[in-house]
This record gives sequence, structure tokens and C-alpha cells, in this order.
Amino acid sequence: MITEKQKEFSKLIDPHLSSLYSTALRMTHNQSDAEDLVQDTLFKAFRALDQFQKNTNFRAWVFRILVNTFITAYRKAIKQPQKVSYDDMEEFFLYKRLDETVSLQETSKEEFLENLFDDDVKDALESLPYQFRLVVLLCDVEGFSYNEIANIIDAPLGTVMSRLYRGRKLLQRQLWNYAKTRGYITDDFKRKS
Amino acid sequence: MTSKENHKKYNCDDIEKYAQQYLDDQLDENKKKLFNEHLEYCLPCDKKMEFEQKLKEIVHKKLSHKEAVDNLKRNLNKFITDSE
Repeated sequence: MITEKQKEFSKLIDPHLSSLYSTALRMTHNQSDAEDLVQDTLFKAFRALDQFQKNTNFRAWVFRILVNTFITAYRKAIKQPQKVSYDDMEEFFLYKRLDETVSLQETSKEEFLENLFDDDVKDALESLPYQFRLVVLLCDVEGFSYNEIANIIDAPLGTVMSRLYRGRKLLQRQLWNYAKTRGYITDDFKRKS
Repeated sequence: MTSKENHKKYNCDDIEKYAQQYLDDQLDENKKKLFNEHLEYCLPCDKKMEFEQKLKEIVHKKLSHKEAVDNLKRNLNKFITDSE
């Protein structure tokens, strides 16, 4: 016997299942942990559905539960100090590195981006410390606004911005490393002297 | 740069400073106008911003394809029926 609450929940959650799962997958790095994380999230969301105020942002509400669930489940791992080097954290990092290589004309810089494999971008993102990764995912992939993200991760706007900008720079550095190690940038593209 | 809100034109440093906010459309109208004015006459900054925009799109495109959630849907139906 399906109750009204169950019907309502299914209807609300259905459009967001895939994004919840994708985000969980990027955060946990594997399918079975991601499924567990989403299951827990759905369970909590269903239980808390009465607290959800109708006609407010359900998507942000359920992502907030996902993030809380993730942080609770992975608290131990998350508390490990994350070693991030903030060298090379300049603005336009990737553009500038590409610009310093011979033979890469303007069109080729765009081509470089076009030619990145899905896995390059996924791996680069997954290599980021979780707090940066989360904010980049929420903004650049899921399209949440700064204010929504502040609410989802329960942090001030300034924290959202600094994590997002650092995260993007770390991502650029990682993409640049892939470019070099995977031979997209070959020895022919030596730095301009 | 003490009165940065008042100065008439943005230089390349201002572009670096506000690049990310511009990218996410988070600048107020005045800053956005100054930013755009700089891009109109500074080709290097314009190119950089174009690249940043493109990169943001690529990240979105590469990471936002839909994952199959059949398993989750099955389990969802199961637990909501079990839980009441």
C-alpha cells in the first residue's frame, strides 16, 4: 500500500536521483559506497520530509542532506590533514602554462580543452581534497548558486568562494600535469625561452 | 588602489582579481560594466576569460552526464514501502 507521503517523495526525488548519485560517486570514488551514501540520504530525506517546507528549494534541501551524510560517514577520513601545495595558485594557471608552450596558438588552447578525455577531467576533480571537490561539483557541475552552496555545506559565503576558486585552480594544475604526463604536451612544445 | 570601487577603469590585475566572480555572474552591475569595458580593449584578458569560460563548460559537460540509477530506484521503491 503506497501512501500519499511515499508518492509525494518519489515524485520529488526522482528528478534528482541521478545528480545525487553522480555527486556521491565523485565524492566516494566507488559505486557501492556511492549507492550506500545515496540510500542513506534518501532514507533520511524521507524521514525528514515533514520538515521540508513546500515550494522551497527541494534540490538544495536534499543535497544538504547528502553532504551531511557524507561528512558524518567519512568524518575520520576527512579529518586527516590534507596536504595541498598552494604553489602555482595563480589566476589563469592553465591558460598561462599553455601560453608558454611553443606552437600552441589560440585555437589550439581551445582544442586542448576539447580533446581532454572525460576521465582526465574526472580524475583531476577526484584528486582534489574533498572540501574543494565538493564546492566545485556543486557549482560547476550541479549549477548551484553561491548562496545555495553556502546553505548546502553550512558555511559562510566567503568560504564558498575561497574554496571554489582554490578548487578550480587545483583542478587546472592537475589538468596541466595530465597534459604533460600523457603526452598532450610533447617535448616539441618546449617552453618559450 | 585604495579607492578601488571608485576608479574609472579596471586594469589587468582587477581582471585577475574578479575573474572567477565574473565567470559565475556574481559581480554587481558597476563592477560588471568596468570588467566588460576592460575586456573590450584588452585582447589578452579577453582571451583568458574566453578560455576560463570554455573550461568551466568542459568541466560541466564532462562531469554532468547522467549515471544510471536503476538500482537506486528499485531500492527506493522498496524502502519507502517498507518504512511505513
